[in-house]
Amino acid sequence: MSAVEGGPAGGGISATNVAILGIVGGLVGIYLASILNDITATTYFSFFGGIGAILAGVWGADAVRRVCSYGLGTGVPSIGMVALGMGIVAAIFGLALCYVINIPVVLGPIIAFIVAAIIGLIMGTMANKILNMNIPIMERCMVEIAGAGCLVMIALCVTISGTLVFESHVATDITILTSVVQTGFIALIFIGGAMIILHPFNACLGPDESQDRTLYVGVEKGGIIMALSGVASLMVLGVIPAALTIVIGLLIWIVYFTKFINLTKRDAHKVIGTGLLPTEEELQ
Amino acid sequence: MTDPIIIDMGIVALTGALATIGGAAEDLESDVGSQSNPNSQVQLAAQMDFPHRIFNKAISGEPPAYGLWCASSAVVAAVLLESMSVFFALAIGSLVGAILLGMFSVTAHMGRTASQSRFKQPLYMDMVIGHVPAIMAHGYVAVFCIISFSYIMNTIMGHPFPLPLLALFWGVTAGAIGSSTGDVHYGAEREFQNQPFGCGLNASFSGNIVRKGEVGLRNGMDNVWACAKFGGPVTGLALGLTVFLDNWRSTIFTGDNAEWFAIIAGLIIVVVLILLNRIVELNGRKAYGPYKDEEEGGATA
Amino acid sequence: MTDFISLFDPISIVLITIGGILIGMGVHFIPVGGAPAAMAQATGVGTGTVQLAAGAGLTGLISAGFMYHMLGNDGLTNIELIQVMVSGAVGAMIMIAVTMFIGQLVYVYCVGVPPVSAKVDKDPITGDIQDIYVSKGTEGHGIPTVSFVSGVIGGLLGGTGGSLIYAILMNAGYPESIRSIAGPSPEIVALAGIFSAGVFYVNAVVASYNIGGTIEGFHDPKFKRVPKAIICCLIASLLCAAIAVPIMGGLI
Repeated sequence: MSAVEGGPAGGGISATNVAILGIVGGLVGIYLASILNDITATTYFSFFGGIGAILAGVWGADAVRRVCSYGLGTGVPSIGMVALGMGIVAAIFGLALCYVINIPVVLGPIIAFIVAAIIGLIMGTMANKILNMNIPIMERCMVEIAGAGCLVMIALCVTISGTLVFESHVATDITILTSVVQTGFIALIFIGGAMIILHPFNACLGPDESQDRTLYVGVEKGGIIMALSGVASLMVLGVIPAALTIVIGLLIWIVYFTKFINLTKRDAHKVIGTGLLPTEEELQ
Repeated sequence: MTDPIIIDMGIVALTGALATIGGAAEDLESDVGSQSNPNSQVQLAAQMDFPHRIFNKAISGEPPAYGLWCASSAVVAAVLLESMSVFFALAIGSLVGAILLGMFSVTAHMGRTASQSRFKQPLYMDMVIGHVPAIMAHGYVAVFCIISFSYIMNTIMGHPFPLPLLALFWGVTAGAIGSSTGDVHYGAEREFQNQPFGCGLNASFSGNIVRKGEVGLRNGMDNVWACAKFGGPVTGLALGLTVFLDNWRSTIFTGDNAEWFAIIAGLIIVVVLILLNRIVELNGRKAYGPYKDEEEGGATA
Repeated sequence: MTDFISLFDPISIVLITIGGILIGMGVHFIPVGGAPAAMAQATGVGTGTVQLAAGAGLTGLISAGFMYHMLGNDGLTNIELIQVMVSGAVGAMIMIAVTMFIGQLVYVYCVGVPPVSAKVDKDPITGDIQDIYVSKGTEGHGIPTVSFVSGVIGGLLGGTGGSLIYAILMNAGYPESIRSIAGPSPEIVALAGIFSAGVFYVNAVVASYNIGGTIEGFHDPKFKRVPKAIICCLIASLLCAAIAVPIMGGLI
């Protein structure tokens, strides 16, 4: 199919639908977590952030899958790293801007998302127009990857801190700056988010790659990173919200890992316990 | 009283030693699992009608992968440090990193193999069960060493970056060094032992990797056994030297203008390395000589 | 809002942009052969461009962070800014020199190939004849002196760029008015560190797309593409700087 011949990647779910799922799912996850936490004055709903991160990550993985089918000249990982490079700058900008110019924090993710999309568009246009990479879907995919990277970052920040407040004038408040940045957990978010986006296609690359199997890997890896964010939030939110995030993350991992194994059995030439190599005749 | 510089040097030596062990384990882990650039040949082999029993672990490039293992181990360790002693926190943190590595290895191997079904590459489940523990074991040693010296730099030497960030940066560096040095032994020599020594790899032989072992069919365990003789140790040397030299020059000078001395010492180290490289280059040219016509390519057999 | 506009410190933005351009140029100097080099099929280090540049740049960032911590608690004077930058550069140079040297040991003593470039007939630095040492079916192997020196220059540029970005972001987040003996607050350090890493990755990837994965050093014909990368890195880092500087400045 795609990887060998360098054509567009096909697959069951259309690019637009995955994008809608990623944007809406990611934003809804972020807002559900922060608003429900605010209303109930607890932190039990932080796990919605993790679910948002998974949905946005799956969208990013699908965009990586489409653009990398063309062959970039460097490996798949580099595009994931640029996604998170753009994503982290945009995400922190969006969240921190609310504090700097004193506007409601709910606008933060939207501003960040728009900024990420603009950076992505400029990067994609530069790649095609100045660097002459001539990949027809480069602009669109860079927008999608940067946007997805940004949403994954914000969603994981919310999972750890339970809030969208980046910095507060009240010293005792939990803020993203003290709970995620100062502790260094942002390192996990940075590289973990990158791996949700770049690992699925890299892991399933090959001529018989199929969209559902690749995206299941994305969901499953998202589940693991979500559980790890839950471990990090132990230090910030306390045991019960952290345990909720960890358990839900691991459940997602188990369910989608099983689905991935089943699809592997469907797609593989044959799955055998052990055995010799195929003989010459079998290979004909 | 002992001069404080002696204690400082001891700490620097300790970071160097940990980095050396960590680097070696890092490279050997990537040889068991066949990660990074040499894996392109494993991937290609099935396509060229050479089905094989070598673990095909394409998680991502080694640097982001090691960044993730080290960052997540350091996050878990940082959380545990609130309530536990350092050794337990680091050990359990590394365990989480190793489990994570195992999880990513399984999907990477199964995903890549299933995506090659048209080349009739079978998916052997005993390989998954046999290789993943060995990958995790090597990975554990590597991650433990890397987050340990990150912790030492952070707490004892007073580096301002928080532990997970420092671990992420050192993890990325360790992965970059591992994929640049030790992996060449695996990719250029061990995978192509069916070619005469020193011929380089003729592009037309791409994918024709050695698939038979001393006993039975070759797998990742056979590869790590060979690479532990050269590739692994020199990778450890490279990471150890990087960490040791960089910390040494920042620590050894005290008093006025210590910063300038540290910078000058670093420049001298770089110049010495350029000269050493020249010596090795001359030795190589002298020992192997130019390629002669009848030997050209060397790989006619 | 006038207050917000005033946070766009033009000098900081220009310096960060320069840092980004230095990173983009540095990537072009680092000799990487990608996957073929890992099979002794092409000259250079056997890994990806971004990965090696990132490894060197982040080592430089660690050195620069150390140096800033030693010098910068009372703010940076110009000479101290240079010390932080050079320190980052030296850190990156050490990392890349050690990596290339050990890689060379593997090529010469383990794979058994002499270091040679197939892109030029004579090594521009040592004058050694190259083409007769290239084995058949390959595009060179190992790291000849010219590539080694080029790589060291790449480390110098990349390390300088990364630590320049870090130092400027620290200065923006820790201006003169709040300087104390306690030094910058830890969250500012961490934020500047991760921001620098993000900007570093963006520039390194743009530059590696420009060279298409492999380059031997400054003698490689592909090196002529540098101006394009400079334009791209200029735009990309200007964008990143324009959103990072006001945020760092506004957090106090």
